[in-house]
Amino acid sequence: MTVTVPHYGNSFIGLKVLFDALGINYVIPPRSNQTALDLGVLHSPEEICNPFKLMLGNYIQSIERGADTIIIIATNGPCRFGEYASLQQRLLKKAGYSAQFIILNTQSGKKALFEGIKKIGSHSSCSTFQKMKALLLAITAISLMDRIEIKLRYCSGYEKNKGECKRLLQSCYEAVVQTNSAKDAVKILKSFKHSIKSLPLDYNKKPLKIAIIGEIYTISDPFSSNHIEDQLMDIGISTTRSLTPTWWLKDSVLKPFKLNSLSMHRAAKEYIYTCAGGYTRETVGKALLAFKKGYDGAIQVFPVGCTPEVIAKPILEKISSDKSFPILTLIVDEMTGEEGFITRVEAFTDMLERRREKCII
Amino acid sequence: MKVGLPKGLLYYRYHPFFKTFFEELGAELITSEDTNKKVMDAGIRCCTSEACLPIKIFHGHVDALKNQCDLMVVPRIMKVSNNEYICPHLCSLPEMVVHSMDHLPPVTYQSLYFNSQKQLFHWAKDVGKLITPKRSAIEIAFNHALDRQANYKRTIDQSQYSYKILLVGHDYNLYDKYVNMNIIRKLNDLNLGVISSDSIGNGILNKYIKKLPRKPFWYYYRQAYGSAAFLIEKGEIDGIIFISCFSCGIDAVITEAIKDDMSSLPLLLVKLDEHSGDAGLDTRLEAFSDMLARSNTHHKKRRI
Repeated sequence: MTVTVPHYGNSFIGLKVLFDALGINYVIPPRSNQTALDLGVLHSPEEICNPFKLMLGNYIQSIERGADTIIIIATNGPCRFGEYASLQQRLLKKAGYSAQFIILNTQSGKKALFEGIKKIGSHSSCSTFQKMKALLLAITAISLMDRIEIKLRYCSGYEKNKGECKRLLQSCYEAVVQTNSAKDAVKILKSFKHSIKSLPLDYNKKPLKIAIIGEIYTISDPFSSNHIEDQLMDIGISTTRSLTPTWWLKDSVLKPFKLNSLSMHRAAKEYIYTCAGGYTRETVGKALLAFKKGYDGAIQVFPVGCTPEVIAKPILEKISSDKSFPILTLIVDEMTGEEGFITRVEAFTDMLERRREKCII
Repeated sequence: MKVGLPKGLLYYRYHPFFKTFFEELGAELITSEDTNKKVMDAGIRCCTSEACLPIKIFHGHVDALKNQCDLMVVPRIMKVSNNEYICPHLCSLPEMVVHSMDHLPPVTYQSLYFNSQKQLFHWAKDVGKLITPKRSAIEIAFNHALDRQANYKRTIDQSQYSYKILLVGHDYNLYDKYVNMNIIRKLNDLNLGVISSDSIGNGILNKYIKKLPRKPFWYYYRQAYGSAAFLIEKGEIDGIIFISCFSCGIDAVITEAIKDDMSSLPLLLVKLDEHSGDAGLDTRLEAFSDMLARSNTHHKKRRI
């Protein structure tokens, strides 16, 4: 059995560590790219969202590289993500690819979920204790990676030597992917985390700060969001994004106890009165938190047809006019042109700069 | 007190409940007029451009009523059946309306759960308080409203025509004649009878959705798939017409499943948005009915 997983932000690093530690054969698909998107678009229904198409492309690219089992989670929420697994299964079969699915179903309680986990675990020769250890290593790796990314993206506004943060982040990705040992991967990540401390930073600088909000998959995946974060990093803008794979893990674990992302929910209360499903509340809450923390603006990115984010859009517009806090909304799909995207982001950052200098022409 | 009830979204399903409830409480109920061009234009102006057509039309109805009433009913319908959702848009309707429109009267934010009488009463209690302080009056009105709703059945099942079509879609697309460009009459004129997807009982739906790999968590998925599977097995219908709205998140998944599993029957997918034209629909319906007629004569010839 050779397993594969769809991409979701940095999650592939954690999963790679997990499979390495468990001794399961795996294929990590190439990071989301145009070919994957084209393949996905070819086989998907027209109106489904961008992440679905990209994931389908990921599977096909993995299958071409020898994968035969796909692992995916199926949640039970109003968002379409819950239906992804069964629809993708159907479409892959129709397209003539043969692959097994292991669906981690959260619909019928814990039992189905644990059954799926057991199924994956049964392919590993490790003892239960080692499996637990592997899981722990994976969680450590993924949270380290997320922390490194967040830290570097924030520091990029303060760096003394231009482009250093971006280089460090890239070399971190490259180094961690090359190793095939779980323990080494964690070690590498730890050393990179340590090396952030020695980055020469100039705290007298006052860079623009922008919060990236929006649909969780799209903003975590550099290809879907047209490398918006890298672009902002290049022009020396500090960005922050709270929805990461680590956050998602924590959120899912704490959800049954209603202790998930309290700060964002509390902040969003001013505009949203009841939970609506999806991450509307988190998007709105994050925008309000960014405003409170003195950020210069926020950029909302979401794929066409994402219902929860469409709900957030008018609310963000209202926040923007109420609090005089600039928020740019960018909607992506397979037809998004890079140039148009870049121009809009540039215009937005220019506007933020001028706004700060109070020189409005 | 004047209470405004916009004629959009699930009004078509639950209007007896709302009407009876507010009228028995002694409020003057103002319903907006049927959807028309003016309402739709107002909706497009007020609402965010990414939302689907029914949501925009709801905004238009709110716009038409907002200067005439003291309380606007913006139902936040969370669930209509156990363990199932409807649509995130419906669950956060008050937020969308309040934050995209100005000069609104007070709006009802409370959640409605039509699957549980107990939770529904919470809504009645909270909203009723705004109109009358008497709890007993609220209880009586609530019970009457429930009775009226239970006795209300609005489904279409026409059998006097030579062909029968299953019309699949959300209530607000099936019954709003302006949105669907009076599709039912158009079909009848072409000698096609209609049976609507909501005319199949819950028990049958539950039995027929077992064909799916997992139980869907959307009410409309179950309704659309279950009714189509049931009627095809019974051999009662000659074709399926799916009325959907552009950018409806749920329908993108449902249509794919139906297209795949019900390939034995012709399927016409009608996508609605604010630019839909009458003539285009006419042509497609005529082509569909011609196709049905031809396939049928073909069958007969072969049988001879």
